[in-house]
Formats: sequence, structure tokens, C-alpha cells
Amino acid sequence: MILYTPMQLELVLAGFEKLDRNSEREVTVNGVPAIVKDIGGGKTELVQILSTNPMDFLRSELYPGALVKADS
Amino acid sequence: MSYYQSFDEVPGVFPYQPPSRPDPETYPERTDNPNHDPGDRTRVTGKSKNTIEAVKEMGTTQVPEIKSNIHCLTIVGQIEGHLVLPPQNKTTKYEHLIPQLVALEQSTEIEGVLIVLNTVGGDVEAGLAIAEIIASLSKPTTSLVLGGGHSIGVPIAVSTNYSFIAETASMTIHPIRLTGLVIGVPQTYEYLDKMQDRVVRFITSHSRVTEEKFRDLMFRTGELARDIGTVLIGQDAVDCNLVDEVGGMSQAINKLKQLIDERKAGDGGLKH
Repeated sequence: MILYTPMQLELVLAGFEKLDRNSEREVTVNGVPAIVKDIGGGKTELVQILSTNPMDFLRSELYPGALVKADS
Repeated sequence: MSYYQSFDEVPGVFPYQPPSRPDPETYPERTDNPNHDPGDRTRVTGKSKNTIEAVKEMGTTQVPEIKSNIHCLTIVGQIEGHLVLPPQNKTTKYEHLIPQLVALEQSTEIEGVLIVLNTVGGDVEAGLAIAEIIASLSKPTTSLVLGGGHSIGVPIAVSTNYSFIAETASMTIHPIRLTGLVIGVPQTYEYLDKMQDRVVRFITSHSRVTEEKFRDLMFRTGELARDIGTVLIGQDAVDCNLVDEVGGMSQAINKLKQLIDERKAGDGGLKH
């Protein structure tokens, strides 16, 4: 993996060692399988859509970083 | 009291009988002629109930839903690839963008794709993957570089059928650094050189810049303070044939519409 960027690598990678992926879980959101992350305050954020249906990626409410509610 | 008294000749009885016509003498004219002109016409105008309620309850009007036949993809910040970057970076994630492009290719409603770029580069493989998939779309594409399209943003900008750069936007062309981050792979000069060749080959085959010229820009000294390379601003990128035209949003959309019309006309007028 090579980063090709004019930005200083120290800036891009600052805090890299603090990244935590333990709070991520696999759920379905509006019927679409996805990975979400708890960001505190009872809120969950979408990390990645796991669906194999490409049309799910054009849904306006589902994008990385969107606040979502997991299906129960 | 005097006003009401005039109606109240007999208490409790309505003072007059309304005229009733249980058997109307006239019937509406009917005709079997389809071109018959009914004469007096009235047009009923007004707002639908929903609109009036929206104004009353929320103080807003409903925005009419117009489905666009073009789709706009914005590529901003770092292009995030195999490695998740720390949260202070604004990133464009390739695992989201690639299925979106698949869906756009499949969609029957979308006829063209506009790529808006303001990126500082990022992962070589992710950037090349996005550029390759844009280049292989069968639908017309145009790109617009706003602000900056640096490093791996350059192959993405040139991957479309026609590319634009804003007058003040810049593109940094520089070698892949020897200090580039490599995880778990022995970092050799040959390896980085091969990576660089992939980028140069893609750019030279998807734009009109020659390999010689591009390598000259890439290894020029004295332009960047901390690095070798070149910053191309607006017209400079067009002068070295990297980008097709200096322009803004209206030019990019008009060109896309033109390409869509050409494709509909079936003359296959796409360049690359």
C-alpha cells in the first residue's frame, strides 16, 4: 500500500495508532447488510455497506458516515 | 332588530319558497362529434392540498422532484484504499465508489456521469481502480477539477471522456516518494518505479500528454519547496495537453449533455 499525495505523511497518519475498530458490528440497516459503529450518545454511524446489490450504493440515506438506525 | 324584522313576517316560518324545478325543461346538448368545441371553458387553478399544508405547518414549500439524467460523483480529500486513515482526514472510500459506478453503468435512468474532483491524492491502487472503472464506463463522463486534483487525482481527472479544470484549480505532479508508506512489502526502488510506471502509463494513454513531457513535469526541480515535481494551475494543465479545457460547472454539464446526445444519435463520438 502506497500513499501518493503531496500532503505530509505525518499529518495524514497522525493518530493512526489510536484507530479502534472494536466498536464496529454487522447489522442490517433498512434491510441492507452493513457495518456500523457506535459513536456515543446512542448514535450509530454507517461504516460500510456490505450488500452485493449495486443499487443499494445509490440510496441517498446510506453512505459512509451517515447516522443510521440498525434494524431490530 | 329592524333588520331581522323584515324577514320575520310569520314567526318560525322561512319567509319565501326557493324556486324548485323538479322537471328541468332543458337538457345539456350532446354531440357525437369528437371535434366539437364546447364553447365556454374555464381553467381551475390552485395549489394541491399538500403544498398548502407544507406552507402552513412548516413555512416551507415543497421542492419539485426533478429526476436528473446525470449523476454527480464527488471525489474529495484523501482517496482511502487498503488502509483506513485516521479520522482527521476527509476521505473518499473506494469500496463505496466502485459499486456506485457499477450501479450507474447498470441504471436505465442515468445517462451520464460528472466527476467533481478536489482531492489531495491517496492510495495508488484505489485511485487507479477508480480511474480504470470510470474509463471503462459505457456512459459519457466528464470531469471537473475544482480546487485541486493532485497526485493520484490526475489519473482520475483524465479517465473521463472530456476533462475540465477550473481557472484557479491546481494539479501537483510529482514522483511517488521513496518515503511512501509500504506495509509488509520490502520497499525497493524497483517496486516504487513499477508503481509509478502504472500511473504514468494510465495518464499518457487517457490524455494527450506525451510520456516524455509528463516525466519532465514529474522530475522537474526548483518548483516545489520540499519535493521535485510541478504544480500546474488552470491553463497550464491544458497547455501541456493533460486536461482538455479550462472551464467551470456549466461547461462541464453542457459538454456532458452534448456527449449524451451524440451517444443517443449513435455516432459513437466518444474520444477515448
